Amino acid sequence: MKICAILRVVPDLVEDIEINEEELIPFAYIANERDEHAVEEALILKEKAGGTVDVLGVVDEDTAGDIDDALAMAYAKGADNLIKAILSRKTYRRYEVAKALAGFLKDKNYDVIIPGIQAIDAFAGTLGGMLARCMRIPYIGGAIEIEAQDGALSVKKELGGGLLGEYRVSLPAVVGVVSAERPLKFVPFARLKKAMKEAKVEEVDVEVPEVEGVKVTRYYEPPKPEITLLEGEPEEIADKLVEVLREVSVL
Amino acid sequence: MNILVFAEVIENEVQEITYELVGKANQLADKVVTLAVGEADVNSINSDVIQVEGESSPLNYVVVKKVFEELKPSAVFFGNTLAGIDVAAQFAADMALPIATMVTDVSVDGDGFVATSVAYGGKVMVDLALKSPAVFVVNRGSFPAEDGKGSAKSVKKLDIEIEDGIEFAGYIKPEVEDIDISKADIVVSVGRGIGDEANIELAEELAEVLGGVVSGSRPVVDSGWLPKTRQVGRSGKTVAGKLYLALGISGATEHIEGVKAKNVIAVNIDRNAPIFRVSRCGAVADVLELVPLLIERIKEVKGE
Ligand SMILES: Cc1cc2nc3c(=O)[nH]c(=O)nc-3n(C[C@H](O)[C@H](O)[C@H](O)COP(=O)(O)OP(=O)(O)OC[C@H]3O[C@@H](n4cnc5c(N)ncnc54)[C@H](O)[C@@H]3O)c2cc1C
Repeated sequence: MKICAILRVVPDLVEDIEINEEELIPFAYIANERDEHAVEEALILKEKAGGTVDVLGVVDEDTAGDIDDALAMAYAKGADNLIKAILSRKTYRRYEVAKALAGFLKDKNYDVIIPGIQAIDAFAGTLGGMLARCMRIPYIGGAIEIEAQDGALSVKKELGGGLLGEYRVSLPAVVGVVSAERPLKFVPFARLKKAMKEAKVEEVDVEVPEVEGVKVTRYYEPPKPEITLLEGEPEEIADKLVEVLREVSVL
Repeated sequence: MNILVFAEVIENEVQEITYELVGKANQLADKVVTLAVGEADVNSINSDVIQVEGESSPLNYVVVKKVFEELKPSAVFFGNTLAGIDVAAQFAADMALPIATMVTDVSVDGDGFVATSVAYGGKVMVDLALKSPAVFVVNRGSFPAEDGKGSAKSVKKLDIEIEDGIEFAGYIKPEVEDIDISKADIVVSVGRGIGDEANIELAEELAEVLGGVVSGSRPVVDSGWLPKTRQVGRSGKTVAGKLYLALGISGATEHIEGVKAKNVIAVNIDRNAPIFRVSRCGAVADVLELVPLLIERIKEVKGE
C-alpha cells in the first residue's frame, strides 16, 4: 500500500502569540499534534498492510525550517520518503491549500492520504475533506483505527461521546486521523539525531491559487476571565482553595 | 433569506446541537429548512424539515448538495462535530463556497455574513467576512437550544441516491467501566500539564481525599496514562456533577464541550489559559507543587 501522511506545523501555544488586528505573530512553531498522530497511524498501517509511507510536510517560506525536526522524527520512526511542499504564499484558507496540494498529489498514485483531522488554526475549513473533494476521492475524518481489508479500508471513526462508527472505504481515499490507535512511539534522542543527519528531504514548490469569498477582518484576544485568579505562594493558594471547596460544599 | 441547517443525527436521534443551530438560523432568516439524514423523530425541530433516508456518513455532503441546489439558501449551518465537519468541509469544497469553522457567532452584514471563530486552542478570536452563500461550522454551546425547539412546520421525505466509496458498517458502543465519570459528583481531571504518567498518582490521591474520581484530557488518554473511558470532551464523556477540578488543562473547545459541572476550579501555570474563562475559581500555580499541599490541607480539615 502506498501511503502518504501529511504533516504541518502550527504556532506553539506554550509560547506567547503576539496578536494584532491584521496578523498573528507566533514565537515558535511545533508539529501539529493531530498530524503527528496521522504519521503514527500511517506507520501502523504500513506495519499491518505492508507498503511505504511518504511524509509530506506542508510549510510556507516562513516556516520551511520549522518542520525539519518533525520530518526527521517521522524518518526515525520508519517513514520511507520525506517531501517538503513549500507553499508559494501563507494562507489560512484550507480550500486554497487543498487545491494546491491536490495539484501536486494527483499523479502520485497514493492509495491512502492521511492528514490530521484538524489544526488549531482551522477557522476557515479543514484540509482532509477539502483535499478529497479536489481529488475526487472518498474522505472520512475522525479516524482512530485504519485496517486494510480486501483492497479497501475498514475505518473506525469517532462520532462523539465515546461512540464509534465503522466504515468501509474504497481506495484511493483520504482518511483524517484524530488519534493514532496507540500512543506516539518514543524515539530516543540519539536515534533522532542520527535521523536528522541521514534523512533526505525532497523539496517542492507548490503554487497556491487564490479563491475569493472569505476574509479575516480582525484577530483579537478573547475576553479576560471574570474571576480574580489566585496567585502567589502555593501554601496560600492551597488555603484559599480549601475555602472554595467549602463554599461549594465539597468539604 | 433562507438558511439550511444540517441536523446532527446520531443513532437515529437528533442531537442537541441541531436545535442550537436552528434557533440561531430562525433569528437570522425568514425561512429555515433543516435537513436530517436518518430515521430520527424530527417533529420537535422548529423549522421546515427535509428528511432523507440514510446513515451518518461523510458522503452525506452529496445529500446537502442536492438540497442546496433546490433551495438556494444564503447559508448552510453545520455543527462542529465529528460527523458534521466531514460533511461540511466536503460540501464547501465541492461547491467552492466560502466556509468558516470553529464558529461561535454569525451575523448578517449587508449582502454577506460575519462569523466569529475561536482558534488557537481558545487563545485567539477571529472575525471573518464571508460572501453569500456561505457555510458555517458552529461550535456546540454557542446558541441556546430552546429557540430551535418547537414543532416542525412541515416534514418532507426525500430519496436521494448517494455515490459509492464509503459504506456504514455499524456503531461500536463505548466501553463500560466500573467508574463512570459522567455520573460522578466530584471529578479531578488531569491534562498534559501533569507532565508525566507517574504524576497521575497525585490526582488519584486528591480524588480520594475529596471522594471523587479521576478523568483526563485527550493527550493524557492518547498517551495511555488513563483509559479511554476517562476522557472528557467532544470525543469522550460529559461531566455534570458538583465539581470539576482541572489540573494542567488548557481549556480547548473540544475539551470544554464535555464540562457541564456546576463548579469548575482550574489550576494552570499560564494565567492566560482559556480554562479560566469557564472557571468559578482559578489558581495560577504549578500543579506538581500545589496538589501535594492541597492534599495535606484537605486531610487536616477533615481531621485525618
Ligand atoms: C475532533 C477532535 C476531538 C477532540 N476531542 C477531545 C476530547 O474529547 N477531549 C479533550 O480533552 N480534547 C479533545 N481534543 C483535543 C483538544 O483540541 C486539545 O488538544 C486538548 O484538549 C488539549 O489537552 P490539554 O489541555 O491537556 O493539553 P494542552 O492544551 O497542551 O494544555 C496543557 C496545559 O497545562 C498547563 N501546564 C503545563 N505545565 C503545568 C504545570 N506544571 N502546572 C500547571 N499547569 C501546567 C499549560 O499551561 C497548558 O495550559 C479533540 C480535538 C479534535 C480535533
